[in-house]
Amino acid sequence: MSGDAALWLSFVLIGLATTLPRASFIVLGGRVRLPSVVQRALRYAPAAALAAIVVPDVLVAGGDFAPLNPKLAGVIAAVAAALLSRNPWLPFIAGMAVLLGLRALAGG
Amino acid sequence: MPSSSFRAGAREGFRSFLPMSVGLIPWAMVTGMAMISTGFTPTQAMGMNLIVFAGTAQLGTLPLIGIGAPLWLIVVTALALNLRFIIFSAAIAEGFRGVDTPRRWFAGHLLTDGVFACCLEKMLKVEDPRWRLGYYLAPSLWSWALWQAFALVGVLAAGSIPKHWSLEFMATIALLVLLVPMAKQRPMLVAAVSSGATAVLLRGMPLRLGLIVAIVVGIVAGFAAEHWHGKRETA
Repeated sequence: MSGDAALWLSFVLIGLATTLPRASFIVLGGRVRLPSVVQRALRYAPAAALAAIVVPDVLVAGGDFAPLNPKLAGVIAAVAAALLSRNPWLPFIAGMAVLLGLRALAGG
Repeated sequence: MPSSSFRAGAREGFRSFLPMSVGLIPWAMVTGMAMISTGFTPTQAMGMNLIVFAGTAQLGTLPLIGIGAPLWLIVVTALALNLRFIIFSAAIAEGFRGVDTPRRWFAGHLLTDGVFACCLEKMLKVEDPRWRLGYYLAPSLWSWALWQAFALVGVLAAGSIPKHWSLEFMATIALLVLLVPMAKQRPMLVAAVSSGATAVLLRGMPLRLGLIVAIVVGIVAGFAAEHWHGKRETA
């Protein structure tokens, strides 16, 4: 098998490893039911997953726990903007401005 | 011809998802650039983007593909990164009652974190299955289109955008903007804090399994907080 064919095979398998978990219960639908306790518990999945992705991204740098960094300041600005304003663009503007501003100050 | 309730649902779904969909743009561009820097041709990069359609799985497997890791390890890593979708799929499955199997496969293929977080509540509440399908598919197809278009921008622009702009930070902000309204409920906040702390503690676990453990810990903590909270109120 040539390198190119192996690469496309890996794309197809990664694609299956993505679509099957995504479609699993949506396709099985009513035939397989999760108990209602599990369903209630699952309401916490989005908040838990979002935090599990975001928190290490902000507080860990190069494998080390390093909470005091420009990203944390940017995140605080973005969260404040999201809490105080209904403008959907403001958290992005505030967060990026603080991150890039602090980096520029540190660099200069 | 889609029914009027499908179109009404589609309009509402699109409107509620539009502001947060901006977060996909840097994420897609970063993924496009990462695929090129792994050594893919533009055709291979866009092929992966069309077949896989998943930022986390794509970005997570690129380093393994880059070093020529065995295929099984690449696939197991992708599965580990996607386990959360089984939870999401189970949580939102009720929202597809009254929808046929081919459309369920299509909807499943398009399931993403953002659309799940945005659509879950109304998917479970609204009765009309056509309204629900429109409400889910409009933001999903919009995500798909944005993802393909801006990954292509990233593929074509790779190398010419300065790295120090840190565009990927916009993806972090986008996920936070999703989290903020949820965390206004006490048990949700408990779930988020527990999960985030666990993910930091377990960051060294192989195959990013720490992410999955953190999600489970967060769910359990949130559920426990809900019980405890309820007991206090009835006492």
